[in-house]
Amino acid sequence: MNASSEPRRSFSRRGFLGLTAAAASVPLLAACGGGSASQGGGGGAAGTVKFWDMPWATPAYNDAAKSIAEGFSGASGSKASYQIIQWNNFYQTFSSAIASKTGPAVSTGGGFQAFQFEQQGQIAYADKVIDKLKANGQFDDFLPGVLDPFKSDKGYVAVPWQLDMRVFWYRKSLFEKANVALPTDWPSLLEAGKALKKVGAFGFTTGAGAGNNYANHSMIMMMVNNGGGVFNKDGELDLLNDRNVEAMEFVLELVSNGIVDPAAVSYTTDNMSAQWKDGKAGYGLFQVNVPQRVGDTSGDLLVADPIKGPHGDKATIVFPNNIMMYTNTPSQDASEEFLVYYLGQLKQLWQKKLMSALPVFKSITEMPEFADDPNNVKIVKDWQPIAKTFASQGSKLNANLAALDGGQALNQFSQTIITGKADAKTALQTFQSGLESVLKK
Amino acid sequence: MSSTTAQSGLARARRGVAPGGSGTAPGKRKSKLSAQATRTFFWLLLPSMVLLVLIHGYPLIYAAVQATHDGDLLQTGNFVGVQNFSTVLTSPAFWKAAQFTLWFTIVGVFGSWLVGLGLALLLRTKIPAGNTFKVLLLLPWVVPIVVSSTAWNWLVATPDSLIPALFRNLGLGTPLFLADPTLASITVMAFKVWVSFPFMMMMISAALASVDTTVYEAASMDGASRWQQFTQITLPLIARSTYISWILMTIFCVNDFPTIYLLTGGGPVNATTSLVVLAYRTVFQDFATGPGVAIAFLMTMTLVVISVILYRQIRKSSVE
Repeated sequence: MNASSEPRRSFSRRGFLGLTAAAASVPLLAACGGGSASQGGGGGAAGTVKFWDMPWATPAYNDAAKSIAEGFSGASGSKASYQIIQWNNFYQTFSSAIASKTGPAVSTGGGFQAFQFEQQGQIAYADKVIDKLKANGQFDDFLPGVLDPFKSDKGYVAVPWQLDMRVFWYRKSLFEKANVALPTDWPSLLEAGKALKKVGAFGFTTGAGAGNNYANHSMIMMMVNNGGGVFNKDGELDLLNDRNVEAMEFVLELVSNGIVDPAAVSYTTDNMSAQWKDGKAGYGLFQVNVPQRVGDTSGDLLVADPIKGPHGDKATIVFPNNIMMYTNTPSQDASEEFLVYYLGQLKQLWQKKLMSALPVFKSITEMPEFADDPNNVKIVKDWQPIAKTFASQGSKLNANLAALDGGQALNQFSQTIITGKADAKTALQTFQSGLESVLKK
Repeated sequence: MSSTTAQSGLARARRGVAPGGSGTAPGKRKSKLSAQATRTFFWLLLPSMVLLVLIHGYPLIYAAVQATHDGDLLQTGNFVGVQNFSTVLTSPAFWKAAQFTLWFTIVGVFGSWLVGLGLALLLRTKIPAGNTFKVLLLLPWVVPIVVSSTAWNWLVATPDSLIPALFRNLGLGTPLFLADPTLASITVMAFKVWVSFPFMMMMISAALASVDTTVYEAASMDGASRWQQFTQITLPLIARSTYISWILMTIFCVNDFPTIYLLTGGGPVNATTSLVVLAYRTVFQDFATGPGVAIAFLMTMTLVVISVILYRQIRKSSVE
């Protein structure tokens, strides 16, 4: 027996090419497969408001949110259904559902999603909801400044319901061990970082690995903290301003002094949480409820004071997550009624301690379940008033911010900075060019 | 059957008439059957053809439309011709991703083939608990990629992870397997080989099982060394399976999204960004649908060309 005597199998050229073409078309199908996206579920019947929500916290959150949504009973007998949409490819899920008229009537979603769909004429403005909130007193309950970013020339694009705030956290025992004071400005941040390094900890904890946007947020936060930002006051791209260059030169100084973990460029959020839990992270930008997130509620992880930039600026960034209404609804009145109802029930989520974000209503921040945590109180008192959006120095949110947050240009920029691979101006120039190519005029 | 009936049947058979048939001339009967068969085949094939058009045709056409327009996932936008293709082809990011994809594919295909071949040959020998080993060796292929990528992440991600700690304890420094661009590329490729070798092992094991062992006995009697037996008998006999496995693994590697994306996200600084990751990020992170789909089109065309070349190699090996 030899190679040529091996039985000839039924293997035709045509059959083979067909198989190959089918297998090779996978990337095409993956890239454009809008038709296979989730169509959502439950309750598309007339009079039922379809509410789509994201996994904002643990599954217990979604259970509670579902319970609230399904408790809705409108004046005209309308009901609401609840559907969880996973974050993976969520924009595609929403897009394909909306295109096929099977999308939600009301939803949470990406921070800038409402503006993306507004451009496509799919958003129902929330002005009447705002009027109703004024009438029932909830309007005055909003924390200062949280509603303004959603007001466009045509009306309110969405209504905020929680604030995903970025604040500095620190591990108290590491600062005591390093015998150094908490940073109050950039020079003291540098000094604290050097002292923490001597005790084996990092003074500017961050991460830029798969799916981790904290390094992106840290970079923009440092720009905003220096009076800079991605956009100017007119909303035009303005990355190469002096304040941004100065901020990135400072971050590069932190990198060159070993204050940023050299492995941080590949850290996922889980890796970052582990660094905080294992006492490797001394200081760094993170979200609300870090002790609960990393699993260390010993009281050693605390919210730090905001720090001052070299020109006296104090600022951080915030993502005002929002609820939006769509034009495709069984009844616009029912959508509005549902949204007003849902906003009125939000306190339950904080009462049950299910949220890892700040509420948008003052009354919730005053509830004992929220205010018992001194970290929460400090964030509301010291950080919320200085929080700015990704649109800074501009004031209005817009669809382009979706391509900025999590987009390739910002990811690459952050990774370049925290690996110290380029000087500040070069990195900012590349960032600006990358953004220009994807931002819609 | 009576003898009369049998003779009649034989006569009818000689004329080509089916039992109970009318006895029409064979040629005419054949063409009538052929027309009927064609109609039957058509109706039998129709559901599959409709399915194929729906499953492959529609997305392909939709993708072609998107690749030639400047729209997004919801709106088609304006027709821009081949502008998206020229944008992609003049982008350094595309060529960097193409270069990584090439290396990732070469290492993924031949690395997994070599490991799979070695293990298949080893498992062919009589070793204790061989079947248990076979099952255990399949685990990397069987375990969901999300689980294995998480496990690999925890093995290498931080300086205190198991593998960097091991290197440190051996006095080899603290390598940052996912943070250093070169090491991250090597790690991702090693992960791909680890995930893929069981597939290769299975393919080669199946091919080896069909090889007649007397061939080796004859070769031994003729004085052929083990190496000569391997290169002159084993490799040629498994050549067809090898080429098929290379084609399939090439397609798996070029299209591989989760292995890379879950482990490094394409970083650091795009060091491990393959074409499929770039296409995904372009469409879903930059919301630039046209260029993203153009990348996917270029990938598909390249894959078809590679597959045709390898298919010719298979035919050649069959003829030989």
